[in-house]
Amino acid sequence: MTRFDPTRLRATVLRMAHAGSTVHIGCAFSLVEVLAVLYRSHLRLGAGPDDVTRDYLVLSKGHGVMAQYACLYELGWLTDADLDRYFADGTRLKGLSDAHVPGLEVTSGSLGHGLSVGVGLALAARRKGTGQRCFAVVGDGEMNEGSMWEALLFAAHFKLSNLVVVVDANGFQAMGRTDEVMGLGKLADKFATFGLHAREVDGHDEAAFDAAVRAALADPEPRPKAIVARTVKGKGVSFMADDNRWHYTRLTPETYAAAVRELAPAAGGVQHA
Amino acid sequence: MRDAFSTALVAAARADERVLLLTGDHGYALFDGIRQACPDRFLNAGVAEQNMVGVAAGLAKGGFRPVVYGLSAFVPVRVLEQIKIDVCYENLPVLFVGDGAGFVYSHLGTSHQSTEDVAAIRAVPNLTILSPADAAELTACFELALTLNGPVYLRMGKADLGVVHDAPPRMTLGGLVPVRAGDGPLAWIATGSMVRTAMVAAARWPGSAVYSAPCLKPLDAEEVAAVCRRHRTVVTVEEHSVFGGLGGAVAEIAADRAPTFVCRVGVDDRFSEKCGSYQYLLGEHGLDAGSVARRVEEFLRRQTAGLSWAA
Repeated sequence: MTRFDPTRLRATVLRMAHAGSTVHIGCAFSLVEVLAVLYRSHLRLGAGPDDVTRDYLVLSKGHGVMAQYACLYELGWLTDADLDRYFADGTRLKGLSDAHVPGLEVTSGSLGHGLSVGVGLALAARRKGTGQRCFAVVGDGEMNEGSMWEALLFAAHFKLSNLVVVVDANGFQAMGRTDEVMGLGKLADKFATFGLHAREVDGHDEAAFDAAVRAALADPEPRPKAIVARTVKGKGVSFMADDNRWHYTRLTPETYAAAVRELAPAAGGVQHA
Repeated sequence: MRDAFSTALVAAARADERVLLLTGDHGYALFDGIRQACPDRFLNAGVAEQNMVGVAAGLAKGGFRPVVYGLSAFVPVRVLEQIKIDVCYENLPVLFVGDGAGFVYSHLGTSHQSTEDVAAIRAVPNLTILSPADAAELTACFELALTLNGPVYLRMGKADLGVVHDAPPRMTLGGLVPVRAGDGPLAWIATGSMVRTAMVAAARWPGSAVYSAPCLKPLDAEEVAAVCRRHRTVVTVEEHSVFGGLGGAVAEIAADRAPTFVCRVGVDDRFSEKCGSYQYLLGEHGLDAGSVARRVEEFLRRQTAGLSWAA
């Protein structure tokens, strides 16, 4: 079976969301293929979560953290108990990304933070000559924050070629479609004018996204890279896809069962209690 | 004090290749020393303080020891959330230097004046807050900061109000530094630019003990409580709001451990109204030595007479 199979990752997200009765399922589902490709093919993971020579995967849009938890579970860095006791009192995994969890690089959820920390990590790696890369996964809604543009200016000015910014561009933010709340225009064009290598790609097409990452890493110019991954919020479950209510909605026994039915056959027989 | 900062910075950068200076496009000639001595350790992050703090967090996670310089009106106030989440939550060794604390940028007005910075950050866990009184204390504070493996805010106020110490004092984390011994009814605890002022004002009360508090957080509760027990009244003096700074910290300790009258002299709950020099604004806010003494006299008069403070 494919490592980081997207359907299986989504099933893991559902399993956590069900166990913890949590929200942000849509935010996690849009990210799945992006994280799958990065974890499967590009991140040099070293000896484990405590290995300081690892490449960095900075999840700046911390609301999607369940998708990253699913990847860490795939790696064996999280356990079944972590998943099934999600949100139980005294457990370690929170509803937003938290740097105290080995394998997560930043504490985010308050938006507009992670990219700057990622820029610092990339700069540190370059100054030390370690060869580490930093992949910073940000949200399109997050691009409302001025600090994101500060970070891009800095990254371009200091020619941080080991920084790859991936925008999970699902077209939604908390209150509605990004075009309606705070239009971003053509993001890839904006990145290009900031001096970044910039590409736009279907973020659910693993082969296309993988090719975009390879092109970014192969870019000979000394500049940071950006990939705008066009995605669908809630992707993978028919009644969640492109429906912003799944930013906030909790699973009921019925919606959980229906979502599992859609995912289970392709997920290698993932069994949910 | 700024010269001492530059000297300490260059020495630190020479001694430890992990030390880097980031500035939000402030400082100019202040950084001639490090730019000359270690040009690759100087980074101008531009007019973008939020990103600068995030970058410092990333650099610290990557093994560096960033020194982040800004005006105290901006660092820490403008970037409080970045300091809380990106730096302090992970207890990262980032040294924030906030220059121009209090009314230093007097003529420029409210945007550049800084009398709430300590209050803003006192409630953030893991953060040490240092507030040196003069160049000698600055040197000691800088050295102490680099020995701490966690975040520090160093508040740098007016540089030329007079020398407090002849040489860098022996400084411990949280400890008070005795400036003048005395066993009279009054003890003075002052910080930063106001230590010198407190020494002048205290001269009206023979037997006053005067302490400098170069470390506002942690503040050694046992030591402060001991001062409270030895004297009938403790006067705190700071170029900062009376809310949430040194006076608040001392009053909290007194309330817990050694109920004592604490006369908090600082900036009352208002902004500066007028344009003027640094000395003019100290006068406007009752922080010149004469005004400080009058405020203490009034406090003692009410205390002695048992009068209501509400009048």
